[in-house]
Amino acid sequence: MAKVVFSTWRGERIDNRGKAPEAWEESAFKLPENYDEGTPSKAFIGWDGVAIFREDVDAVRLATEYAATYQEYSEACGRCAPGRWGGRILYDLLDKIARGEGSFEDVEHLREVSQTMMLTSKCEIGRTVPKPILDLMEHYKEQFDACIAEQKPSIHYGREDLNYIAKVTAPCIDMCPSHVDIPAYIEGVRDMVFTESLEATRQTMPLAHTCGRVCPHPCEDACRRANLDEPISIMELKRLGADYETDHHLGFLHPKDPKPLRNDGKKVAIVGAGPAGLTAAYYLGLEGIKVDIFEELPVLGGEVAVGVPEYRMPIERYNKDIELVTSLEAVDVYTNHRVDAERLKELDAEYDAVLLAFGTRLSKKVRAENEREDMEGYWGAIAMLDKVNLWNKYGIGEPASKELKDTTVVCVGGGFTSMDVVRCSVREGAKKVIMLYRRDEKTIIRNTTYEEYHEAVEEGVEFIFHAAIERIVDENNKLKKLICNRYELVPDPDGGRPKLEKIEGADFEIECDWLIPAVSQAADLSILPEEWDLKLTSWNTLLTNGRDYMTSRPGLFAAGDCEYGPMTIVNAVGQAKRAASVISRYIYDGKVSLTDEEIMEDHLNKLKVYDKNEKVTGWMPGIPRQVSEKLTVEERKTNNKEVNLGFTGEQAIAEAERCMRCYYISMVAV
Amino acid sequence: MSEVKKMSETVTLTIDGKTVTTRQGNTILQAARENGIYIPTMCYLSKVEPIGSCRMCVVEVEGVEGMILSCQEKAVEGAVIRTSGEDLFRERQNIMKLYDVNHPLECGVCDKSGECDLQNKTLEFAVDQQTFAAKDQHRPVKNWGFISYDPALCIMCEKCVRTCTEIIGDDALAIETGGYKSTIVNTRDLSDCAQCGECMAVCPVGALVSTDFKYTSNAWELEKIPASCTHCSAGCQLYYEVKHTSIDNTEPKIYRVTNEFEFSTLCGAGRFGYDFENREAKRDPEKLEAAVEAFRKAETIRFASTISNEEALLLRRIAEKTGAKLVCDEARGFQRFMRAYREASGRNLPTADLEWIRRSRVIVTLGTRLYDDAPMVKFAVATASRREKAQVVYCHPIEDSRLQNQVTQFVKYEAGSEEGVAALLAATLIDKAKAPLELDTLLNGLDIGYLSAESNVSEEELDRLKLTLWKRQRFTLIVGEDLYNHPHAENIARFLAAIENYSDFKLFIIPPASNTLGVSLICDLADEAKGYTVGVNTPGEFVLSALGDGDLDLPAMNQQEGTLVNYEGRVVPTHPALPYGGWELADIARELGLELEHVIDLTPQLPKEEGFRAVAFDDLPDYFDAVGGEHRGYLLERQERGEALRLPEEPEELESYDGTVLYRCNPGKQFSPFTAKTHQLKEEAFLLGSAQFAMAARLEDGDRIRFVQDGIEYERVFRIDTAMKGTVAVNPTFDRGLRSFAISSYRFSPVKIEKAGKADE
Repeated sequence: MAKVVFSTWRGERIDNRGKAPEAWEESAFKLPENYDEGTPSKAFIGWDGVAIFREDVDAVRLATEYAATYQEYSEACGRCAPGRWGGRILYDLLDKIARGEGSFEDVEHLREVSQTMMLTSKCEIGRTVPKPILDLMEHYKEQFDACIAEQKPSIHYGREDLNYIAKVTAPCIDMCPSHVDIPAYIEGVRDMVFTESLEATRQTMPLAHTCGRVCPHPCEDACRRANLDEPISIMELKRLGADYETDHHLGFLHPKDPKPLRNDGKKVAIVGAGPAGLTAAYYLGLEGIKVDIFEELPVLGGEVAVGVPEYRMPIERYNKDIELVTSLEAVDVYTNHRVDAERLKELDAEYDAVLLAFGTRLSKKVRAENEREDMEGYWGAIAMLDKVNLWNKYGIGEPASKELKDTTVVCVGGGFTSMDVVRCSVREGAKKVIMLYRRDEKTIIRNTTYEEYHEAVEEGVEFIFHAAIERIVDENNKLKKLICNRYELVPDPDGGRPKLEKIEGADFEIECDWLIPAVSQAADLSILPEEWDLKLTSWNTLLTNGRDYMTSRPGLFAAGDCEYGPMTIVNAVGQAKRAASVISRYIYDGKVSLTDEEIMEDHLNKLKVYDKNEKVTGWMPGIPRQVSEKLTVEERKTNNKEVNLGFTGEQAIAEAERCMRCYYISMVAV
Repeated sequence: MSEVKKMSETVTLTIDGKTVTTRQGNTILQAARENGIYIPTMCYLSKVEPIGSCRMCVVEVEGVEGMILSCQEKAVEGAVIRTSGEDLFRERQNIMKLYDVNHPLECGVCDKSGECDLQNKTLEFAVDQQTFAAKDQHRPVKNWGFISYDPALCIMCEKCVRTCTEIIGDDALAIETGGYKSTIVNTRDLSDCAQCGECMAVCPVGALVSTDFKYTSNAWELEKIPASCTHCSAGCQLYYEVKHTSIDNTEPKIYRVTNEFEFSTLCGAGRFGYDFENREAKRDPEKLEAAVEAFRKAETIRFASTISNEEALLLRRIAEKTGAKLVCDEARGFQRFMRAYREASGRNLPTADLEWIRRSRVIVTLGTRLYDDAPMVKFAVATASRREKAQVVYCHPIEDSRLQNQVTQFVKYEAGSEEGVAALLAATLIDKAKAPLELDTLLNGLDIGYLSAESNVSEEELDRLKLTLWKRQRFTLIVGEDLYNHPHAENIARFLAAIENYSDFKLFIIPPASNTLGVSLICDLADEAKGYTVGVNTPGEFVLSALGDGDLDLPAMNQQEGTLVNYEGRVVPTHPALPYGGWELADIARELGLELEHVIDLTPQLPKEEGFRAVAFDDLPDYFDAVGGEHRGYLLERQERGEALRLPEEPEELESYDGTVLYRCNPGKQFSPFTAKTHQLKEEAFLLGSAQFAMAARLEDGDRIRFVQDGIEYERVFRIDTAMKGTVAVNPTFDRGLRSFAISSYRFSPVKIEKAGKADE
């Protein structure tokens, strides 16, 4: 996987020094042997060991730089006695040795202070920083000994010939597509300084209300606490800061003071005011770069506004996230402004960069016989949710209950959108609501959340698993019934993924008034000028390299669902944040570039920060995860009140105290 | 709350071989302390959530690898804990070595020396040599007004920041992270914080010290006199720390006030306003004679509520003997209010205490400018806001931006409309299903439209309040001084009693001044002074004054022993910190033929029917136990009577004021002429109003003005307070001497303001 001279990464012991090239052992990990295109790395050092890529590395300097980095990054920590003083002593002692003034006694003190840091530090940064340093002291002992015995500086001491590029991360931060500084916002809750919590979130995530409520929290799958007992309830803790700001009517807290509008003639157009568009606008706007957002709908917010129902994401709270963005001087929005191919060409000409963030708003078909969009009773999920939400949240249009009351609704899906469809149908008064899903219960839970599925069942939604529609039956173009097939999972005799196979003779019928397909959504590609001949992915979304988010047309960027395909809010936010960063440079120098921070982010993501097999020590196991109160079925079924009441203060603090603050430092020598 | 995982109430575990049982949710450290097992800490502070910065409290748990932070990690059923051993000692010793790195070795001139946690633990862990070193840094001392901060001495335990955030609610301190360079910073002008000095009280080292006290004494030279603060009705625990004034003056002097900061808290008035003693008093037999004569002929004995229970009882006995009427202007309205409350609620005392407020999730306040009226209550609200995410609905005619980080809904009502607001709150908060038919009928019959229009509290605001209650629990209604002298105070009391009886709200009543609750229980007060009046710390024909400006001197409260009743209904003892050279009320009483040796002879005689106990003063406990249990004096016996209760009546016409309206309220640290007299709290009194008020009253910042409020003539400077809003200005009384104790009117009043030049003229 990676060619190394030496590695102790994740417990491996590779030492190729002095070996013939053909005898070299490879590392099992995707270590960053090349920092950037054409720039090979000399060494990588991090929380779980060290990897050396070149024979001539100065191990003493490397250790010293790593300790120095800990000093530099201590703003992320420095809040416990062992970490604060220990880190400083570690660096001072290493620097003393590196400059040729050290003694063997210093080595002993290094070991002693390292042990105290590793055993008693508050966060993982303090517990892990000594590890690779001790590895170097052990395996490159001769270099340390030489510095001490001969009282001379290490080979590279004081020379500026290498770049040491460092980054602080954590398993949860790495897994979060927006790379939210999760331990920091949790610490804000633990400290009860909710403003700091919110500011930490907003460094990379402007939609704190939203992602404190409806994020599917991939971070929780990478929570080290799970190695001990249960993962931290990361997502719900995000709400605290945002609710504090709103409840106390504070002005908007920004991660840094918004810069005044630059007025230098540069401007960026964003197509779509959903999570991706808002996020890009926010981070560009904070820099004072002029942004205009064009939104087709009469309201801002994209699918979170017209897709996610009120009972999951109250619009009054989402509007606060939106206002955060639109309150910026540099940001202007134009609603009811459909961008078509002609308009896009105008924008492309008029603006220094255009970001496409129009999502995927075309409902895909279920692919049954006689499936026709013009059939009465056939209603795409996007259109249905638009109607429900525009009425419930904004009073636009008419109530969907006019159509759905006392009817039988069948939804075909399995993802979040389908859950929204069935639960909204319940609330709009449908007498029977059925969810048809090809796979099983376990998969639907994996694709959504346990809570979402469980709550839908409680509300009376009937789930039919292992089923699909074969044919739609109409009478005078009015939907009558569905002919369905039943499937079963047949294990692959070769040990592969089990296959879905139709059970012959097990067909069944459902009489119904509505069929709402919510299998997936597609991007509306008609807005792309044909002559641009933009490269698309195999699933018909805009193709980028997934790192800088520029499409095949220079100056045209894409982020969110129209780039990735229907995915999560947090994914759209993460992409848009990155795109905004790239755009902020592109509009000045015409180059597509990433910052060191972003390059490291990608390296770490490839390397994987979370290790589910790691044994956690120094924490008391068995402290249960807090669970917030939800409205009972009776309290929620017939209205749009927010179902999840969120943590009480007491619960939030208890949950925040479970966080182990798994900050890590990694560094590449280039 | 629907607990998903039902847990038993307690857990049992083993600590150092001892089987201990503790409440579910307690930490290992708490379980240990409850059982007298010692675990060393540097950053642990009982009254806040665990900080976890020092890592000294690590312990070993059988079957768990690594060292476990006992202050934060919960006691788990069956856990086997070891709190000491070679490995733990070594790591703790190393932590102490780290703390000692570059800590200045100037204990000889450090205020903290002798009571310093760093000194103590350095010795305890036998750090007799330093194996670690780091480059020293230049860290200049900061002066923050009352407080000085020396970052070189700071160990970054974070107790101060956490206390300011979680207990005080001011967020005035923050951690500026920077690893080895980390420091504590103030986030704003500290004249804008509560100036309570709690940050320095909790500081375990000499980093935060009193600017005034600095370098004046070694800690071990000071004698701690246990006492209770008498400035307001909180009756907080404190120690007056006393020693001789100087080498050539052996007279004792109070050098500072400290408190049991681990469990209790003080405000700035309590901490910095201590030298209000009546120093010069002498025993002149003629003056005593004159005083006795005055009492003999007095038709009225008028007194201030800054008085012990015993002296209040003594005045009652004297009055019984001489036939005089007793008048306490500060307490009279409150007594009427409380009697109406009793009659309506069936209880002698309201049900909420400070701990309940701290744990509340919804708090409604009515009729109090909380920040200034009752610092401890405000702190409790702050704690609820932080820990419990409490929704705080602040109902008052004057918005208070200092409370923004606690208040979630500000309900502004018209001055004078308190009765209407109480009725609206009753209609909103009372659970109609629980209310008796008659009350239900009354509430249904309320003319909400009229009440809403006259009080200016909209129905939308009430709907929002109602929504706040949804799915929450632990509710508190806090009421204050604005109500007690309202023309319809008694009906207001009945509405509040109804809320307490027929909703989930508990009521907290803030008495108007220091021992007004005690006075109202002990004395039967008359409405107003008539005829020849002896003033005890109030104006009169013959004046006895602890301020030293009367016909006869009296000892100040820091020169007296006795008890007070605080607003939790706790009878707390206080002890004299300084000697007093003059005559006391007891001397007069004896002359009048009452038999007593010391005033505290009366402690066991306090009226049992009001809940007092027959306990001798010297038998009153006065301490907090190892886990913070308060054993100060005793709680008044709670009385509940089940019989038919008196219901409120529908409010008739609501009061309203036109023109210039002033609100009587002392600022932050001032409560009375006693606080105003102390050397650290001396300040000029201003009339403070918003820019809007200034415009309406045609005043400019710095105008010298004259007006009459509550029968007192004022001439003072007007200042615009940019943090204020609205059309009501705030007028303090702390600079009015004994007159300020003789006010019994409603707090809002229309006045006519006359200009009399500029501030500097």
